Amino acid sequence: MEKKEFKTKKSAKTLQTAREAGYFGKKMLTSALEAQKEGRPIGWSMVTWWEGDLIAKAMGMELVYPENYGAFCAAVRRAEPYLEIADAEGYPNTLCGYARNCIGYTKTLADNNLEVPADAPGGGLAKPVLLISSGAACDARYKWFQALGRYLNGVPVWTLEMPQTGLKEFYLPGNKEKNLAFILEELKEFVGFLEKLLGNKMDYDRLEEMLAQTLKTLRLAYEVDVLRKTVPSPMVSQDFWSVMIPHLYLPEDPEAYEFYQKVYDEVKTKVDNHIGAIPNERYRMMFSELPPWHSIGFFDDIAEKFGIAMVIESWNYHAIKPMPAEELEGVTDPLEVIARLSYHKFTEDNDTARRYDASPGFFNARYLQWAEDYRADGFLAHPLMSCRPATYTLLHTKNSLEEKLKVPGVVIDGDIIDLRVFNPDEAFSKMEAFVETMDHYRELRRKAEMAW
Amino acid sequence: MSGAKSTGLARAAELYSVRGQRARELKQEGKKIFGYFCCYPPIEIMTALDIVPVRILGNMDEPITIADGYLPPVMCVFCRSAFDIGMKKSYDYFDGFVGAHACDGAERTALIWTNYIKTPCNFHLDIPHTAHNSAVDFFKQQIAYFQQAVEKFIGQKISPEALKDAVARHNRQRALVRDLYDLRKPDPPLISGSEMLQVLIALMCIPVEEGNVLLEEVIQEVRERPNVQAKKSRLLIWGSLIDNTAFTDLIESSGLNIVVEDTAIGTRPFWHDIEETQDPLDGIAEHYLKEVLCPRTFRDSGPSYQEDSEMRFGYLKEFAKYWKVDGVFANIIRNCDVHGYEVPVIKDYFAGLGLPVLVIEQDYSTAALETLRTRFQAFAETIG
Ligand code: SF4
Ligand code: SF4
Repeated sequence: MEKKEFKTKKSAKTLQTAREAGYFGKKMLTSALEAQKEGRPIGWSMVTWWEGDLIAKAMGMELVYPENYGAFCAAVRRAEPYLEIADAEGYPNTLCGYARNCIGYTKTLADNNLEVPADAPGGGLAKPVLLISSGAACDARYKWFQALGRYLNGVPVWTLEMPQTGLKEFYLPGNKEKNLAFILEELKEFVGFLEKLLGNKMDYDRLEEMLAQTLKTLRLAYEVDVLRKTVPSPMVSQDFWSVMIPHLYLPEDPEAYEFYQKVYDEVKTKVDNHIGAIPNERYRMMFSELPPWHSIGFFDDIAEKFGIAMVIESWNYHAIKPMPAEELEGVTDPLEVIARLSYHKFTEDNDTARRYDASPGFFNARYLQWAEDYRADGFLAHPLMSCRPATYTLLHTKNSLEEKLKVPGVVIDGDIIDLRVFNPDEAFSKMEAFVETMDHYRELRRKAEMAW
Repeated sequence: MSGAKSTGLARAAELYSVRGQRARELKQEGKKIFGYFCCYPPIEIMTALDIVPVRILGNMDEPITIADGYLPPVMCVFCRSAFDIGMKKSYDYFDGFVGAHACDGAERTALIWTNYIKTPCNFHLDIPHTAHNSAVDFFKQQIAYFQQAVEKFIGQKISPEALKDAVARHNRQRALVRDLYDLRKPDPPLISGSEMLQVLIALMCIPVEEGNVLLEEVIQEVRERPNVQAKKSRLLIWGSLIDNTAFTDLIESSGLNIVVEDTAIGTRPFWHDIEETQDPLDGIAEHYLKEVLCPRTFRDSGPSYQEDSEMRFGYLKEFAKYWKVDGVFANIIRNCDVHGYEVPVIKDYFAGLGLPVLVIEQDYSTAALETLRTRFQAFAETIG
């Protein structure tokens, strides 16, 4: 690929609260560094959609998230040297960009006697006592931690299980309960493993507290999603990608909840006063899946020029829809609540998938539902060179939206780490042409007497 | 096909080159044919109901065209190719389609497949990521669901005896494949890597009994014929699968003899027998989850890097010794993550055994193969 200088383009963000959200990313990194100073155990964790994090934290672990660190290093333009190290170590350069960033970083950590290098971006990731992998949605998310054994000699890896049965199979009699029982069984094993590793007992009261707080935070984050259905859209993706950090990584933190109250209030005020996030909303689009972190400002440009509001985005980063009350009826074991909570993330769209006869339920069906709920005019698919799992279903989703709901899609290539893949000029011209496509499909929907 | 007339290696070559032919004939005779992805769906269940299991493969000779509109280029090319030829009706004779969560690529391809390629019976088999005890139990339940789905489709229950019998017949096949592998022990080996590949793929397209007859014929033929192979450096292949003899021919004409392949068409499906357990599903679940040694399954980490590597790859040391291997080819189909993440550890592990490793990421296309020749030749020279 031709090497050319690439300018990052930050977004202005439309919400004041979104501008304040960076605090939480910094808080995670500094808490881990403080924990290291105090001799408290540090874990590196994949995003587990709350399956493993709460348990580890209730056991007194401080967690950091190398996936998030990858995005951070890319955003501050410090990923490249790490990617080069990973390449030199012999890892194929087609692997996940976050993983390669982390492998490169971990090699520098190992070379520095496992002391965080003084020049590490954001203060670095402190040495872990445990790596928490997850099999959910992406193979990289356990193969990558397994690979770190080369540098973190003897640091154990625990892989969390998340069943991913097919859509039809999900509805087989008893299957859902069996899946849940399996997750629960594994979570118990995980607790036992942690107790042995850390030499202390699980504090179930603490876990329950954290869980209660998590459920509250997730509900509030979901309420914000609901407000976003309003026309004109009171909040756009440029805002969401900042405000999502607390609910995805720190939902048990009371500060995260307070923060979402502020987000909610700000968005609600806009809704009540019919104020759109962008002043000239003409087209409402959905975005899938991981954004070009280094170029979020691109969305400001297409908003200004074409009146495109990115009204909803990135299924995998969103809080769950609240679970139906009967789902938790009589459930007292916090581990079981966690099992149900995380499983819900991967199965909550199965009914939609069934209704539309469009599997899989995860990564895909939600966009069909969202197209209706958010009155979407278009779908922006962002295939990534280095995050395959978030890319696999994009074309299929685009096809389904066009075929079933007359909502057209546009494909713009990019990457989460490699800045050079995203060509802002080309992307801009594509959007220019796509505006006409959206007009055309709008007409088709009108003729078909669809609701939007 | 004049299938009934030819025998042994010639028959294997025919079955290999016109892969759906025998299954289509059997379908005409009234048999049901099921396609399945990867080496994880238990074929014993299909055999027990007299269904012919056919392994879904891609086609390295066929340019990918239709799949471009469905599966993005960053996906494993093998999966894209399989889907592409599926859309081009190569598998239109299937009565059933069995997808599996073997790796992300295979899983997502299978899930997307059912939206566009319709077959009367579909099942998606979930496979846990770990080999923990509860994972084996969970997997057993999923296999039981699979069994029920197929029974419902056929309209007949599988008796435990029928399942045990199917297990025995497939175990017999596994044993015969291992016997055939033994014939690669001499130097030069008695059977080439390309011939071996033809036999193994042939087995994946025909009923187990026919496969066992074929294997017996091949073993006898290979034992009795004069050995025409030249002495060359002995190669172990590890990694993503190879399903086209154009590739093995290229390797073997570059100064190397392939003597063993730890891949999804090589040793992995055949190396371990299913234990005869009282409930046959126990043995089946244990076998597929614990004993099919693909890096897609996470095995608990060892107390140190070295011990972890030993726990995960110790069998490769045995392979290398048994087949007197001189070097290793790590074959990575581009975008195959489960193997890609293992490259440095595999190199470390074999380096510890004094064996050099040639790593190649390739694009699963015969059109692009020739460019690899010089790399194999150079490798052969280094280890020769
Ligand atoms: S491939 Fe994608 S989902 Fe997987 S670890 Fe990388 S960024 Fe995360
Ligand atoms: S080649 Fe790799 S990615 Fe492709 S199906 Fe096989 S294991 Fe999966």
